[in-house]
Amino acid sequence: MKHRKRKRIIKLVFVNLVLILVCVLTFVPILYAFSVSVNEQNSLLSSDFSFIPKKMTFENYRKVFTEEPVIMWFQNSLFLAVSTVVISLGTGIPAAYIFSRRKFPGRNMILQLLILLYAFPSLLSMTALYKLLSPMGLINTKMGLIIVYTGTMAVFALWNMKGYFDTIPVEIEEAAMIDGASPIRIVQKIVLPLAKPTVAVTAMMVLIYVWNEYIFAINFMTGEHTYTLAAGLYSLQANETSGSWPVFSAASLMVSVPILIIFFALQKNMASGLTSGGVKG
Amino acid sequence: MKKSDKKPYNQKTGNTIVSYLWSAPSLILICLIVIFPILYTGYISLTNMNVYHWFTYDFIGIENYKEALLVFDSGFLSALVLTVLWTVVNMILQLIIAYLLAGLLNTNGLKLRNFYRTLLIFPWAMPGYVSILLWKTGMFNSQFGLLNQWMEKAGVSPVKWLANDVSAFICCTVVNLWLALPFMITIIDGALQSVDRSYYESALLDGANWMQRTWYITIPAIRPVIAPSVVITIFTTFKQFDVIYLLTQQAGAKTGAHIHTILTYAYENAFITNNYGYSSAVSMIIFLILIVFSYVINIKPKEES
Amino acid sequence: MKKLTALLLSIVMLIGILTGCGAGGQSLTEEEKNTIVIWHDKEEAVSNALLEMLQKLVPEVTVSLEYKSNLTEALKMVGNDPKAAPDMYFFAHDKIGVYAEMGILAPVTDLVDRGTLDDSYVKMTLDAATYKGELYQLPIYFETLLFLYNRLYMPDEKAPKTTEELYSYMEEKTRGGHYGFVEQHSTAYYSAGWIHGFNGYIMDADGKVGLGSQETISALTYHKKFVELMPGESEYATVNTLFQEGKAHATIGGPWLVSAVRAAGMDLGIAPMPVIDETQIPISPYMGVQGVQVLKYAAENKTEAVKKVLTALMQPEVGIALAKVSGCAPAVEACYEKEEVTSDDVVMAMRAMAENTIPMPNRPEMDIMWTVAADMLVNINMSGQDVKESCEAAQKNAEELIKKMQ
Repeated sequence: MKHRKRKRIIKLVFVNLVLILVCVLTFVPILYAFSVSVNEQNSLLSSDFSFIPKKMTFENYRKVFTEEPVIMWFQNSLFLAVSTVVISLGTGIPAAYIFSRRKFPGRNMILQLLILLYAFPSLLSMTALYKLLSPMGLINTKMGLIIVYTGTMAVFALWNMKGYFDTIPVEIEEAAMIDGASPIRIVQKIVLPLAKPTVAVTAMMVLIYVWNEYIFAINFMTGEHTYTLAAGLYSLQANETSGSWPVFSAASLMVSVPILIIFFALQKNMASGLTSGGVKG
Repeated sequence: MKKSDKKPYNQKTGNTIVSYLWSAPSLILICLIVIFPILYTGYISLTNMNVYHWFTYDFIGIENYKEALLVFDSGFLSALVLTVLWTVVNMILQLIIAYLLAGLLNTNGLKLRNFYRTLLIFPWAMPGYVSILLWKTGMFNSQFGLLNQWMEKAGVSPVKWLANDVSAFICCTVVNLWLALPFMITIIDGALQSVDRSYYESALLDGANWMQRTWYITIPAIRPVIAPSVVITIFTTFKQFDVIYLLTQQAGAKTGAHIHTILTYAYENAFITNNYGYSSAVSMIIFLILIVFSYVINIKPKEES
Repeated sequence: MKKLTALLLSIVMLIGILTGCGAGGQSLTEEEKNTIVIWHDKEEAVSNALLEMLQKLVPEVTVSLEYKSNLTEALKMVGNDPKAAPDMYFFAHDKIGVYAEMGILAPVTDLVDRGTLDDSYVKMTLDAATYKGELYQLPIYFETLLFLYNRLYMPDEKAPKTTEELYSYMEEKTRGGHYGFVEQHSTAYYSAGWIHGFNGYIMDADGKVGLGSQETISALTYHKKFVELMPGESEYATVNTLFQEGKAHATIGGPWLVSAVRAAGMDLGIAPMPVIDETQIPISPYMGVQGVQVLKYAAENKTEAVKKVLTALMQPEVGIALAKVSGCAPAVEACYEKEEVTSDDVVMAMRAMAENTIPMPNRPEMDIMWTVAADMLVNINMSGQDVKESCEAAQKNAEELIKKMQ
């Protein structure tokens, strides 16, 4: 018994070491951005770079908040992200459930077709979507962007959640069905609690997509007050004639923080999915 | 709605209608945002919409396709080969690394699991162009990049990382992995948690080693869950434009490497003409090539039921 | 689930409402007619100064300057859509060919008097803004590349008069992480100066491609020996940082670089472009004219407001204000009578160079030429391919792509 315990501890130490190493490697570019952002000298590039700046300053972070309408961009991003997540789940869960549980004419064809749509090189989609949204008066509106984002993520949401629903045993649902529960109740009371991990992952995926998307945001929206964080960041981007690397780095890092917080919050949800639910096939 | 819902499973027609009703919102959105652009591109590809006929374009049949087929010359073929290589290398590395890391994260008794997982997905929390910019100027730049500064300290002469094809390909792969792994890790990690622990317990009793458990229990169990995401990732990798373009071919910042994927190639040989009809035809042909490709190697997501 | 249904219903309704609104009446209210939206992609100093001037000169028109990343692509998309397009945009002259051919631009001569323009503008700027005989831009300022040097390393008397002098300076000083001279050698905009110095061209005003010409080949063959003494990266971040950090003694850069390096405390010198020994022509970079273009819809429906704004922009005060904030060289001649402008060495250097620079071609084909020429330069300078072969291949490629524009 003791021997086994020691073996487990050694294994855990080893696992921790590997993970720490991988995390450090992952973080090199991010630490780089961080040290650029707190460095007094105004340069991303420097021939004598060190991770610990000679002179620390949080001036660039102050600039991000005081010189750019970051709070407004944050609100825009948040509004778009939350709306898109809600609509994506609202439309995706019923669709995924039906595609997982029922066989109906056209089902297989649709499933295969949806995946193939990803093969389309979407470099040109922008104009097509513009032609679609403009007559509806949806250009330069948040609703327009939400529809584009939800539609873009819909295939993923459907397939991803359907895959997970497939692994949830149907026996319980059948029992509930015999008891006379309606499908809506079954989804609500049985499937969703069991499918928390996939719902959480899907929600997070949609959220991250919206948070980081900038191409639609800058092309379909005009005016600084309509920018999302990613679009605002894109406009701050240092280029040859303007822009400051440290401010840009500071802004880049700050954009990621809310995502990390949300991710951390969602983790518990993801972890407490099936394994603790006590449902064993 | 309520009434039809109460019908038992096997009542066919009602069932079909209900099924479509449930999935309608999702399918309508997909039609609008995903399918409409494809149809529109297909339609434009049959017209002469270009700078000289921006609003007053006419239907010209398959003229653009005749022109477009000329793009598919030897340069295109080598880009296609490179794209396939790029996709295969990236997918294999992504799956293996993500599987191993997700496995480590799921080690029994790992206390800092959530902490590690948050750190590992950090790259994902940044917009792609920011990360690529960081890698390009912060890491790979031959004058100032960290890599070269480290090498200089170690006494090795600096390298122009992005200037030759092989090292540029490796650099692009590293950046692509950095960008794509968080997604894969999350997906596989989620899938691993859906695997029933009791299978492992019995396998352990039978004395199965790690490889055997992976091969006979884990992979078959997670396959249906991760299949769609993997297929989607294969397509995105195939169509990858940003990483390669921004690292090596961005206007004004070309590095000298000639690693063209079909999309960067099409961009430089069709899209810059501002001839929308012609570019649309090229897009449609690439679309068809990809579909054929996916059938050839049979990457349709299969359902295990 | 009820909530969900309600949500979906409300979305459908919202789309319906929005669609309904969108299809509403088309005629503009007085207020709308008096509102001018201008897209731009300039730094804040420039756009703020411009906005301030407009508010002062035409307080009766509501002008808003909106920063638009991806301006050129976004314009292609919105075209003349009154719901999404701006009324004017503020950009360099080289894109007017594309938009004029698309049919979304109105000639400015429809709105202001041509004679006044001819009398008061630097002629070169009007020529640059003319496409197929029509003037599509009201020039505001122009800019060109300058020969800049760091006096700490290169005293004024050492600033090279000829390219051979430059070369020997580079040979002497390029070592140990220092460079005698750096430039963005493999981008078309920067290399054009060398090509022009050999009487070559990337594309001439009639749309003829000049990449494969003997002049271009000689220019790039000669240029290559300079490139060998420069760093491998050619993009702005590397080049400008090397200069800014004092690792490179001289560079060719735009006026935008000047304020940055001066702010960093460099004692900066500006010299005339070195003369190429073989041809006795100085390096002659492209000239860009920045100004406003008017979209057709606005010209037709908001004529009065547009006229007022254009007339205001023709006042010398505007050019002077911009010259003060960011060293732009005004397009209006009268600006050069003011001491505030003549005392600015950057502005005056560009004014002097206006004589031997070549305006960027404004034809739609240039979209192709920028990419093809850059590819060619990279092949020559960075991948070490044969100059003649690369030039000829690029010529052929450019001609084929141009054919495909139709």
